[in-house]
Amino acid sequence: MLGLTWLRGLVARRPGRLAATAAGVAVAVALLASIGLFLSASKASMTQRAVARVPVDWQVEAQPGADPSTVLSTTKATSGVKAALPVGYASTTGSTSTTGGSNHTVGPGVALGLPDSYATTFPGELRSLAGPTQGVLVSQQAAADLRIAPGDVIAIGRPGLDPALVPVDGVVALPEANSLFQKVGVPPSAQPQAPPDNVVLLPEAQWHQIFDPLAQSRPDLVRTQVHARVSHALPGDPSAAFNQVTTSAHNLEARLAGTGLVGNNLGATLDAARSDALYAQVLFLFLGLPGAVLAALLTLAVAGAGAERRRREQALLRTRGATTRRLVQLGLLEAAVVGGVGALVGLGAAVVVGRLAFGTASFGATTSAAVVSGAGAAITGVVIAGLAIALPAWRDARETTVAAGRQTVGRARAPRWFRYGVDFVLLAAAGIVFWLTGRNGYHLVLAPEGTPAISVSYWALAGPALFWAGAGLLTWRIAYTVLARGRSLVRRAARPVSGALSGTVAASMSRQRRLLARGVALVALTATFAIATAVFNDTYRAQAGIDARLTNGGDVSVTQAPGADIGPHGAARLARVPGVQRIEPIQHRFAYVGADLQDLYGVRTSTVVDATKLQNSYFQGGTARDLIGRLARQPNGVLVSAETARDFRLHTGDTITLRLQDSGTQQFKPVPFRFLGVAKEFPTAPRDSLLVANADYVAQQTGSFAVGAFLIDTGGASPKTVAQRVRDTVGTSATVTDVATSRRVVGSSLTAVDLSGLTRVELGFALVLAAASTGLVLGLGFAERRRTFAIAAALGARQRQLGGFVFTEATFVTLGGLLVGAVAGWGLSQMLVKVLTDVFDPPPDTLSVPWGYLAAVVAVAVAAVAAASLAVIRRTARPAISVLRDL
Amino acid sequence: MSARPDPLVRCTDVARTYGAGRAAVVAVHGASCEVDAGEGIAIVGPSGSGKSTLLHLMAGLDDPTTGTISWPALGDRSALRPRLVGVVFQGPSLLASLDVEENVALPLVLGGADPALAAEGARIALAQLDLDDVARSLPEELSGGQAQRAAVARVLAARPRLILADEPTGQLDHVTGARVMDALLATASETGAALVVSTHDADVAERLGRQWQIADGKLLGVDRREAPCSA
Repeated sequence: MLGLTWLRGLVARRPGRLAATAAGVAVAVALLASIGLFLSASKASMTQRAVARVPVDWQVEAQPGADPSTVLSTTKATSGVKAALPVGYASTTGSTSTTGGSNHTVGPGVALGLPDSYATTFPGELRSLAGPTQGVLVSQQAAADLRIAPGDVIAIGRPGLDPALVPVDGVVALPEANSLFQKVGVPPSAQPQAPPDNVVLLPEAQWHQIFDPLAQSRPDLVRTQVHARVSHALPGDPSAAFNQVTTSAHNLEARLAGTGLVGNNLGATLDAARSDALYAQVLFLFLGLPGAVLAALLTLAVAGAGAERRRREQALLRTRGATTRRLVQLGLLEAAVVGGVGALVGLGAAVVVGRLAFGTASFGATTSAAVVSGAGAAITGVVIAGLAIALPAWRDARETTVAAGRQTVGRARAPRWFRYGVDFVLLAAAGIVFWLTGRNGYHLVLAPEGTPAISVSYWALAGPALFWAGAGLLTWRIAYTVLARGRSLVRRAARPVSGALSGTVAASMSRQRRLLARGVALVALTATFAIATAVFNDTYRAQAGIDARLTNGGDVSVTQAPGADIGPHGAARLARVPGVQRIEPIQHRFAYVGADLQDLYGVRTSTVVDATKLQNSYFQGGTARDLIGRLARQPNGVLVSAETARDFRLHTGDTITLRLQDSGTQQFKPVPFRFLGVAKEFPTAPRDSLLVANADYVAQQTGSFAVGAFLIDTGGASPKTVAQRVRDTVGTSATVTDVATSRRVVGSSLTAVDLSGLTRVELGFALVLAAASTGLVLGLGFAERRRTFAIAAALGARQRQLGGFVFTEATFVTLGGLLVGAVAGWGLSQMLVKVLTDVFDPPPDTLSVPWGYLAAVVAVAVAAVAAASLAVIRRTARPAISVLRDL
Repeated sequence: MSARPDPLVRCTDVARTYGAGRAAVVAVHGASCEVDAGEGIAIVGPSGSGKSTLLHLMAGLDDPTTGTISWPALGDRSALRPRLVGVVFQGPSLLASLDVEENVALPLVLGGADPALAAEGARIALAQLDLDDVARSLPEELSGGQAQRAAVARVLAARPRLILADEPTGQLDHVTGARVMDALLATASETGAALVVSTHDADVAERLGRQWQIADGKLLGVDRREAPCSA
């Protein structure tokens, strides 16, 4: 009964404070639940994207002696298999062509036998470059080497048999050649370094006609695979999807009883996606939890602003006989109501946010996960309310005397953590953890390929978390010390605002240093959170752009068709296209490094760095300018991939002989280069298999100035629009791609997950928290001191003089918090980006700072403080005695 | 015959009502009175009779519901505090975040005095009330009596022309209360200020030159020398 009376009284007399506390709980719950929604949506998105990228889910290879038709029927009968087609693989000794009066030859390769429906059943496996996707098709590289086009005839060499003459119907690219030509049943480390270049694709019947004789004489050179597409109705969580697909593949292998092995492409892709999902989880922890913690701290501060009043009320209740138990019950009741209302509002807000930002209102991938997540967020809210209301009530009831309960300020005594230097300990611990994490190369997610076990090094999270907490406490210490020992400093600083009252204001602030130091720390923590989150998100976005640009080469890329012989002068035609600002020609050739065929890029050293926005992270052992500068000084210099440098034990200055195709003889000839350094990435280049050299030297040595690609800088104009104009200009003679499309297509599933929704939510919450940490906390603090202001007004203080009190405190809290927060935010941003290095591809050279957003944070904080301060001052216009009577 | 000087405060048919409708409470009703410089007046009446409200109206701290209040000898209402009118409140009125000396000096600082001179004035006033030893204490470290004396010292330090004290001895023992009244009277006498005190205490009332009786918000003209008011 007393509880209800108490509650009614609170609702009637303290509705603002109750609402503010519930709002703090709601913000914490909404933030946690919103990011949970993001996690759920992004995991499902990762699974979908990963699955969509796999053209052939399973490649089931019939083992020697097995009947391929049995393997096919068993595969088709497997639960979940939607389609299965047989594909023949036969090794060839090479191919030859005669075009333009000269013969062209390519080395050993593979001939595939495909059913007619293959291209439509597995559309991602073949990409037409010229002609249809049925009939006799030749891979792009082979077509380039053989100088053939649709309609030409090639001779396919068969070991021990006569060559087979076939007319070519089309030229295709094989985007997934690595998986198409994988060795089924062997671990990734034993897979071929590169797929074959000479690939001919034949209709099934024709393939049998040509290679059945070979199967008789050399069965070791002919094999059959069954390519299968399975149901993509998989669990949203990549880990669960991986487990389901892997189990299903194992089941098929068991039923094949040794007659076939499954190359599980879908499982391999989901294997990578599940580690990305763990990274998403890490992002959730990094970016979501601090916000929720901050919201909880703000709730504590809001509730704490009314602590004096609560203590006085408790003291009154105790003088009238209320027991500790009764007081705690009242606190728990208040906490339950505030926590319950806050949790409900927070979950509702999260649903709205989820629908708007992520297009989902489910808190988890499954119903049980959704219930657990939603309940977890709600329970967190109730716990926060308990910490804010019930715990102080219990503590005060146990530890505070009635007389002490009536005190309002008290001699400020530094808390225990202050005396023991806990802030310094936290910062030192943060540094040690960060250093230890760095020794591990900042690899947070450990996901050995193919194994079900996957782990996250959550320990690495401790570095930034300890830094954040330590920075908050250090801010508290600095503010407290300045107010305690630097009263004259505060007085001088307050003079412009408070005038002759500055001494009094400084004295008053000094006595309230615990309250003010807490306010400064809260603002600093909020600023640190906002800055670190914003910088991380902006850097992530910038790197996603760089990743897309790395793949596409430029805003728009024009890749010449195989066999085209267009020199740098070809840029002139493109330069006339509206929107084209700058064009960088990049030679693209192939060169043998030992037995490996690698992509060779010939560059203009004077322009390539700026034109293609080369990042320092693409290179090893120096900046982009350093490495390209070395090339400029050494005409026969070459940069190779780290893998090549390691495999061939190259040292700077070593001579390395590559074999390049001579344009006159069409034969590969040795060309000496000097090793100058390592290029880890290069625009349009495949990773770990690239060479970068001077374009002039390559042209001179091969006798051809042919350019493989033109990279176009649109100077801010829409890449899509410019790409379409370029397409209209070049027709079918070249492939035109734009960076915007690449951004969607390329990248790992994690980078492909659009963080913009999460970014909007987080940055929005950061703005709310910034306003709350400044305006709300200060405003409530001032409101709690209405009596002080009313007495001062009764004594004759003018509004201007009261404004001196209010504005000096507000300026100290806001400015101090923002300044320290800016420094800590910068430090935390550096730590976050370092610790989350694996999230970035490629790692950023520098941090991207969203100045506009940060200016908005400052503006919101200042506006909130100004509004709170002006509201307090405006209230002093009421007759002082009526204010005192109401209190 | 010389002209009578302007009164410090003049109330004309003043009323103050709190709330509205059936919940309305009439705290002061139709009060008319004047206070001249150098006068000592006790407003005497039972609890809830309207003494504090009348004092607050005279101090310019509250607005009358009807009637007018003016301060002919003091000027505009906005200029009354902190230097011309000093008020001793009935309840705790020290600022919690300032120590006793800073509290006492506050009206002087608010009035534009040099902070050092204000502090000196505060120390003198505190000495007058035997509060030197608690000058650096915080209000919550004082007893109720000490806090009340500090509030009186705050008024004395400002040396106003009109002192309005609401039950200044209500929380004090007899001896201390007498000392507080001594200080108030001495300051009033020294500065020529008028002193208006609301009180239950007959002894306190006896020490002032005039007494106004108030009951149920009505000011009654029961005075030893003359009826000061019409009600």
